[in-house]
Amino acid sequence: MEEVKTYIESGILELYVLGQLNDQEQREVEVMAAKYPEVKQEMEAIEIAMEQYAIANSVAPSKDLSNDIMQQISGSGTFQSVEVVLNLPPPLEADNTAKVLQLNADSGTKIRNLRIALVACAALLVISVVALFSARTELGDARNQIASLSADKEKFTSTVNFMKQNNEDLQKIVNMNSDPNWKTVNLAGTPMDPKAKMVVYWHVSANHVMMDNSRMALPVNDKDHQYQLWALVNGKPVDLGVFDVNPDTATILVNMKDIASAQTFAVTLEKRGGSPAPTMDQMIVAGNVI
Amino acid sequence: MLLLFLYISKPLATTKKISLSEEELVSKLKLQDTVAIQALYDMYSGALLGVISRVIQQTEVAEDLLQETFIKIWNSAGSYDSSKGRLFTWMMNIARNLSIDKIRSRDFKNSTKNQDIENNVDFIDTQKEITFNADLLGLKDMVKSLKPEYNHVLEMVYYKGYTHVEAAEELNLPLGTVKTRIRMAIIELRKHFN
Repeated sequence: MEEVKTYIESGILELYVLGQLNDQEQREVEVMAAKYPEVKQEMEAIEIAMEQYAIANSVAPSKDLSNDIMQQISGSGTFQSVEVVLNLPPPLEADNTAKVLQLNADSGTKIRNLRIALVACAALLVISVVALFSARTELGDARNQIASLSADKEKFTSTVNFMKQNNEDLQKIVNMNSDPNWKTVNLAGTPMDPKAKMVVYWHVSANHVMMDNSRMALPVNDKDHQYQLWALVNGKPVDLGVFDVNPDTATILVNMKDIASAQTFAVTLEKRGGSPAPTMDQMIVAGNVI
Repeated sequence: MLLLFLYISKPLATTKKISLSEEELVSKLKLQDTVAIQALYDMYSGALLGVISRVIQQTEVAEDLLQETFIKIWNSAGSYDSSKGRLFTWMMNIARNLSIDKIRSRDFKNSTKNQDIENNVDFIDTQKEITFNADLLGLKDMVKSLKPEYNHVLEMVYYKGYTHVEAAEELNLPLGTVKTRIRMAIIELRKHFN
């Protein structure tokens, strides 16, 4: 403590404040001031005294010197907001508010930017939704078109297939006529239905039996009944299969069961699925092999 | 733009001077906020011009030096270290050093006649408007009550650019005596102000 007191009384602190010390001496004083609060306190007391003394001996500068200095500083280009400070000498209260205003201005700009961004987002959203709906509608239209096109295509395909089949069948019929193995058997209507008629083709060696839908005139059968084709072999009826008659039958030629030999073909109307033996009073057409 | 508008829209008619705490001043100054230099000017231009005028009597030159002082304060704000002393001490030494450099410069010496140290205070007092604070009205008496030899050493060192070593040689005094006299002079000032 005594050491500190001596240090203070040496007058070195006064010389420090008066800028009388060289760099090394200055650093020593700074170390002492940092180490001993008394030294720091003493130094401040000296500084305040010199400051008060200087203030007490103030000399008022010319009125326009302030502007000159501010202009010099603003001309140096090393500071921001030149125009702001040049325009006003703000009072103490104004300085604090000025700072707040600055923040407000900043956040105001931010809020404005955010608002713009928000509006832009909303606009984009609306546009997106509209675009989405329009795309969705177009997609629906496209789907419908595809569906109708594919339905058309199926129709055409089935038509083509049908026509191909018909063509083949017709070709077959033409061939049958020139082939001696094929016998064409015309079945005529019985007294049960004199207008009824149909044609059966029979291959003598291969035993195939076919009906010709295009040359058939039988009444449409109901759901409970079916027509049954018979062959009479030496007076005995042999089942050749059942068939339906409906107006939209696609194919021309219908394969029936094979038969090795036959003298007569006949059709009876039987219960659905056919019968083991023909019901003779239900015979609608019949014809002999010529 | 918005910022500028807000500033401009504030009433400009006010003539109240800026006064900020030292911490605020320092931080604003280091941030190169021109409000700081405006505040420093309002608070200390008189005191600094007082210091400068003690060294150089010509009003025009002194005011040029004051201007130079503020520009230097502005430009070297970054080098101010508050742990090494008060802001005013730093500014005061800038003003004083610029003034002493000026008075020692050749062109200044050529254009002016040197004046006796002793005459300086009286010269300034009669030539310039000294702006005393109301509560410091006893100052003139106080300064006069200082022992002249103490005051003389302080004046030499502080206003005339003598180092304390040079002052000791000039006055033919031991260095310790010079130091003591400077300390005593400042203690007198402290008694008055504290």
